[in-house]
Amino acid sequence: MDYRHKTIKELKQDLIDEKTTSEELFKEANELAHKYQDEYNSFVTIIDKYKKRAKNDSMINGIPYAIKDNFSTSNILTTASSNILKDYIPVYDATVYKKLKINGGVLVGKTTLDELAMGGTGTTAHTGVVKNPWDKKRLIGGSSAGSASAVSLGIVPFSIGSDTGDSIRKPASFGGIVGFKPTYGRISRYGLFAFASSLDHVGCFTRNVEDAAIVTDILKGHDPLDMTTLKDEDIKYSEHLDDDIKGKKLFYIKEICNIEGYEDENIKKTFKEFYKLVDKLKEEGFIVEEVSFDENLLNAIYPTYMTISCAEATSNNANLTGIQFGPRPKGDSIDEIMFNARTEGFSELIKRRFILGSYILQKENQDKLFLNACRIRRLIVDKMNELFKEYDGLILPASGSFAPTFDASSERLNPKATVLENHMAIANFGGFPSITLPMYYNNNLPVGINLTGKVRDDKTVLNMAKKIEDIVNLKNKVAGDENV
Amino acid sequence: MIEKEKLKEYAHKLMFDMDEEEYQTLQEEFDVILEQMELIEKIPNIKEVEPMTFPFPLEEAALREDEIGDYLTVDEVLSNVKHQVRDQVKVPKVVE
Amino acid sequence: MYKVVIGLEVHCELETKSKNFSSAPNTFTRTPNINVATVDLGLPGILPVVNKEACRKALKTAMALHCENPDEVVFDRKNYFYPDLPKGYQITQVTKPMGRNGYLDVLVNGEKKRILIHQLHLEEDTASLEHNSNFSLIDYNRSGIPLIEIVTEPCIESAEVAVRFLEELRDVFLFCEVSEAKSNYGQMRCDVNISLMKENDKQLGTKVEMKNINAFNSVKAAIEYEIKRQSELLDKGEKIIQETRRIDEDGKTYSMREKVDAVDYKYFIEPNLPKVPLSKKYLDEIRKEIPMLKLERFELYQEKYGLSEYDAGVLSADKKISDYFNEVVENSNDTNLALNFVSTSVLSTLNKLDITIDEFLVKPKSIAELVNRVHDKKISLDHGKKILYQAIKEEKDPIDLIKEQHLEQINDEDKLLEIIKNVMDNNKEQVRQYVEDGNTFVYNFFVGQVMKTTNRQANPNISLELIKQELERRKQNDKK
Repeated sequence: MDYRHKTIKELKQDLIDEKTTSEELFKEANELAHKYQDEYNSFVTIIDKYKKRAKNDSMINGIPYAIKDNFSTSNILTTASSNILKDYIPVYDATVYKKLKINGGVLVGKTTLDELAMGGTGTTAHTGVVKNPWDKKRLIGGSSAGSASAVSLGIVPFSIGSDTGDSIRKPASFGGIVGFKPTYGRISRYGLFAFASSLDHVGCFTRNVEDAAIVTDILKGHDPLDMTTLKDEDIKYSEHLDDDIKGKKLFYIKEICNIEGYEDENIKKTFKEFYKLVDKLKEEGFIVEEVSFDENLLNAIYPTYMTISCAEATSNNANLTGIQFGPRPKGDSIDEIMFNARTEGFSELIKRRFILGSYILQKENQDKLFLNACRIRRLIVDKMNELFKEYDGLILPASGSFAPTFDASSERLNPKATVLENHMAIANFGGFPSITLPMYYNNNLPVGINLTGKVRDDKTVLNMAKKIEDIVNLKNKVAGDENV
Repeated sequence: MIEKEKLKEYAHKLMFDMDEEEYQTLQEEFDVILEQMELIEKIPNIKEVEPMTFPFPLEEAALREDEIGDYLTVDEVLSNVKHQVRDQVKVPKVVE
Repeated sequence: MYKVVIGLEVHCELETKSKNFSSAPNTFTRTPNINVATVDLGLPGILPVVNKEACRKALKTAMALHCENPDEVVFDRKNYFYPDLPKGYQITQVTKPMGRNGYLDVLVNGEKKRILIHQLHLEEDTASLEHNSNFSLIDYNRSGIPLIEIVTEPCIESAEVAVRFLEELRDVFLFCEVSEAKSNYGQMRCDVNISLMKENDKQLGTKVEMKNINAFNSVKAAIEYEIKRQSELLDKGEKIIQETRRIDEDGKTYSMREKVDAVDYKYFIEPNLPKVPLSKKYLDEIRKEIPMLKLERFELYQEKYGLSEYDAGVLSADKKISDYFNEVVENSNDTNLALNFVSTSVLSTLNKLDITIDEFLVKPKSIAELVNRVHDKKISLDHGKKILYQAIKEEKDPIDLIKEQHLEQINDEDKLLEIIKNVMDNNKEQVRQYVEDGNTFVYNFFVGQVMKTTNRQANPNISLELIKQELERRKQNDKK
């Protein structure tokens, strides 16, 4: 079997058996990265020099990986795919990057994202669009576009991303891979360029659930540099993947899963596959029930997400002024410099979102817009927590269908943005652990299934996801593979 | 509909500008989002709900002990600064 | 005549080891950019982590100012663009400040005035800007230093009261040991809001703001100048413009900018800082640490200890000296003697040697011991003072010195009488002058002799009585 299809465990075994070396793996990954770069644009920076690493018995020691270009990596260009940071070289390491280094992971490159992680298409990076490895006419989704495509292409067995609305879990769906964001605070955000701090999560892409557990085991843990991190727990998720799931209770939302409500044939097909999966899950010992959820709340998910995320984003990115870092344009006064830096540095979409966010926070609008969104957030999360008293997880298609083509997508706020395409933000509202894995292929294009669980219960989410993966049997696919 | 001039004013307060047609797009976008937010207001008893600013209560959150930890060298502080004088960041004269 | 209404916003940097939201050192330095962490520079990806000690000191100050405290620690973001604010927002407190609705009593010409405190909140200092002729320089050392802001109600009526409040407030910082509050280091800074109104007006006049004044006498000069300027304008029937004014070295104020409309800081709760509950137990522990403040000490010294206003003022002015005095008093049986020792010997020694009370090696308990010995007549006052002087000079414990030098006072009458008899036997002529001529001047001669013989250890009062008795006895014997 070739490098591209191998799991972390298999690569680790090859290293132990001395069938290969870390340097050989790096070379292979580096060649693949270059080979696919022009076509897919997964990377902002590809590392060309193999660096000696700390040797230890970590599961990822010597294994190549990629990290989204919005994680601070000292001495390595970190742009957040924005012109305003196009020359920024950090002087410190994000906690996750530090952990990966300590464990001896081998960095292959910094991956492309939607500018400042604000976007869901992978089309707004300052270095151009990221394409879907399964079909170049289609987008991969974002914002962790490059991290998804790099894993989907088989360049690396795992990559790191960030997820504010569904920025890991949506591209995972479109890329036919696994995307996991654990509970808020399970992984430190120190060094992750903030988009919306109360919604931002760090997570990973892999091609199977076990690898996601292995990577999360390494990244998780309390960080004194991030006050929002959870206290350490004394378990390894990768050791609980095959725990018995008999009697685990899942629910899906009736209002979202009503086939009759959709006209698109591909969406109908997705739900047919979804219900087939539900039946199989039941056969394998899961209890799966339909639950009704207030439609007003469901319809409010997207505006609530936009409101909170834009508001936090406009403040979080107020440090980007060209004064302490980033390109410094000409200007006669300091205001003029900041003005020029920001006018030249941000794309239109970003500016629109900042203005929106700033408007939302204005004194006269704050209660009606920002605080109301925060109130809706609570209602949604309270409802979820109430359901989680009875159920272990929420299961829903990660997207209505496969990835859209470039011309079909628009980054403008879509008034018809459906609940179906945005429900995964629920997991960001409540900090719930949430994972996407392949569900089926429609015309050789992947569509994912999403599973969301209780706060702090990452173990059970991964355990159940592993079982679902066994049932679906679509793991370790690399773009171009034959599918079912 | 929100006035374009207002949007320009907001943009300038955020220290940037946009093209005319970009303001046009934004104007339309504002309509959509404000319309959607109107819907939120209609949710019964919404005002009685305590706004949620954090995903869940974090009981283990603790304040930091007052100890000196890692910090940057002068070179690190200035490494991304384009204009510097006497180990400080140089900018055009700031008028108070 | 107009009624003057002044409100103050006082900023004070807290003394901590590290900054408010980063673990870079919080120390004053003139070397630029050496105390800067990623957080203080606003680098992409940074997260604030709250300093527990800064919270404790802010809470302590709030308590000393009789404020209500919150049930949890919550911070908010204040959003604005300025070159000294690298993150583009300042982390501060709006939702739940560390203190609300407090007061501080100050003495103005012997009259007690209560200044109402609107709120006290904890925030972070900004970077500092150095202005040159055609450019400015940014130094981030100050960025992130814990800062408390105290906002009074608009209830101050004159420059004098304002300055007295600032002085008392600084003493609160010093007495609570939360800051050194050095205004020449910019550790304590003040914004002044002032408006004038006619005596019977119900509504406040137009507010004029003066920002960032360091020295107290500048505050006084600026307020006085403004009162004069605004009065003259009002006399002429002109309007006061709502504006921010700058103050120059002479205390004159100049318009900086008119306030068009208030800046919208778009405050919202800092999402990177989870709320940390403040237990009643924790708050009570802090409350217990609050020392008695200056005014309370000043009153206590007069009322309970009967000190003069002057002595009470001197002893309550400095917390460490006051604490020292209190410890002497607490451990001694004679307040007046204690005061005598502290004010004459201790304070004058500090002056003479130009040292602080921290550097003064004689412990208050030793002084108290000395006071007690004098009080119990075990040593003389004279000896006591000399011993203290020697103890200071030789850096020794005075009690050890007393023992070493056998300076304990001789109060034993039998022993003294024996000495007196001896002295009289050796000075027959002086005895004769009394016995035959009734000359009482010899009393002093014999006291002197006894003191000399005993190396000044004899109790002079007892000795005198015994000398009188002995001389009288000899006179009676002679008649027989």
